[in-house]
Amino acid sequence: MSRTLALLGKELADVRQNLTIFLPAMLVTVIAILLPVLIAIVVPAVTGERLSDSGDLEIALEMYRKDPSMQRLDPEAAIQAYVFQYFLVMLVLGPVTSAMSVAAFSVIGEKQARTLEPLLVTPISTFELLGAKLLGALLPAIALTVGSLVLYLTVIAIAAGDGVVGVLLGPRALGVVFLIGPLAALVALQLAACASARVNDARTAQQLGVFVILPIPALLLGQLFGGIELTVPVILWISLFLAIVNAGLMWLAIRLFDRETILTRWK
Amino acid sequence: MLTATHLSRRFGERIALEDVSFTLEAGEIFALLGPNGAGKTTTLRLLAGLIAPSSGSVQVDGEPMGPRSAPRLRAHIGFLTEAPGLWDRLTVRQNLLVYARLYGLSSPERAVETALERFEIRDRGDDRAAQLSKGLKQRVALARSILHDPRIAMLDEPTSGLDPESARDVRELILSLRERGRAVLLCTHNLDEVERVADRVAVLSTRLVAIGTPSSLRARLFTPRVRVVLAQPAEPFAGTLRQAGLADVAADGVALSVGIAGTSLTTPDLVRRLVEAGASIESVHPEEPPLEDVYLKLLNPEGEAS
Repeated sequence: MSRTLALLGKELADVRQNLTIFLPAMLVTVIAILLPVLIAIVVPAVTGERLSDSGDLEIALEMYRKDPSMQRLDPEAAIQAYVFQYFLVMLVLGPVTSAMSVAAFSVIGEKQARTLEPLLVTPISTFELLGAKLLGALLPAIALTVGSLVLYLTVIAIAAGDGVVGVLLGPRALGVVFLIGPLAALVALQLAACASARVNDARTAQQLGVFVILPIPALLLGQLFGGIELTVPVILWISLFLAIVNAGLMWLAIRLFDRETILTRWK
Repeated sequence: MLTATHLSRRFGERIALEDVSFTLEAGEIFALLGPNGAGKTTTLRLLAGLIAPSSGSVQVDGEPMGPRSAPRLRAHIGFLTEAPGLWDRLTVRQNLLVYARLYGLSSPERAVETALERFEIRDRGDDRAAQLSKGLKQRVALARSILHDPRIAMLDEPTSGLDPESARDVRELILSLRERGRAVLLCTHNLDEVERVADRVAVLSTRLVAIGTPSSLRARLFTPRVRVVLAQPAEPFAGTLRQAGLADVAADGVALSVGIAGTSLTTPDLVRRLVEAGASIESVHPEEPPLEDVYLKLLNPEGEAS
């Protein structure tokens, strides 16, 4: 454990010295926050047309009538709450992008600078090495998740109708951000770390992240156009699926990060 | 202290190392020589338990190196890799501190400060590794490799790319390790360096070609010769010596090179004959072929070493 912490300290110090690595993730997060604000607040304010008067949001209004937690909101605030709730899943994009970038640059950076071999000579185990690498990418991703959620809720508290923030603080929203978010980020960073073992360009390794990123907007569209509703059980099923994928990737990563494999097979 | 027994390693169909055995004792500097691809780095990795042998074994203090024992045994080994491998964005102090913690030292900060002092890099401790010259990076890498005061130091090309002054400092460090009873395994192409520091040499070309002290390898391959430097042209005196029954005599300007193997003539006899013939002798010393000639002859027995 102490060796994992020693290496984790190095990983985090390295990340602090290279903050530009988070630019894509921050850009994605800003877009993920601004998009629902544009739809739910700015566009109605500019056009003068309330969301609750729009025929396009009949589904939302119908759900509003069924959902007891929304009953105390006025119709406009309820629709805003639905929009913000749906777009919450987009906040997962930031941590996923960040985790992939950090993991890919970390592993490929070590390969290019030939810093892995001195590390492998120490008594550190494969699990400790991998643990430090994964935590070094996951912790900033979780920090970004928390930061983006706080920013999201602050913007909503300022700009949206009364009571909207309270609705978002329910188990569904928290499940999306604190279960699906970190688990998806872990899948992304393990994919990036495994790919980095085989390639010498961080961007190539990051391209695999498409497999994790694409389902997220798909989930948003699925919610908006019906068919999928992110209820608590659905969130738990998705989380279980991601946990299983993570276990498989961990199995693969432990083999790829084995000393002998790194020294004799990594290109 | 360290024993390699019939070590072999294959990578697929390629044989990287075949049937290599030797021992490394405490207080000894042992040099591994060989051309590129001879298996030197593979040998070091096998000895440090970084990769497993296809056959054969490694023992450290009688304990076999295996998947379970390797992490513990590695704590006794300091390993300088061919590339310094420093984390560029971290400072020198941070680089060393991570390793001090990885080795589980009881006082990592103090160990780092001691190493900075010993390697005379304390004033650069807060510089990022990226800002260091190649020589300084190598010095930091060396400091890192023996930060935990290992009993065995494996050094892969320790003076590669260093200026003469830095290279001399590294050689002094290697010698100081020996003085402290540490075993040093040196892997290098720099034969001059080996000549200066190594107690024993192994020449490797996938298999072990030869092993022994530099002088024993010389004696095995070259006949003993004496070099006599005169104050006048040497050619007339070459004839004198040939008349005295010495067949292997070569004159080069004012110097004579005389092969004395297989004759009854000793060096004092030789000197006496020359003086009697009127030669003014400036110096007499045994002629030792450079280690490079020994090395080349070992690797290419059919060819000619200069």
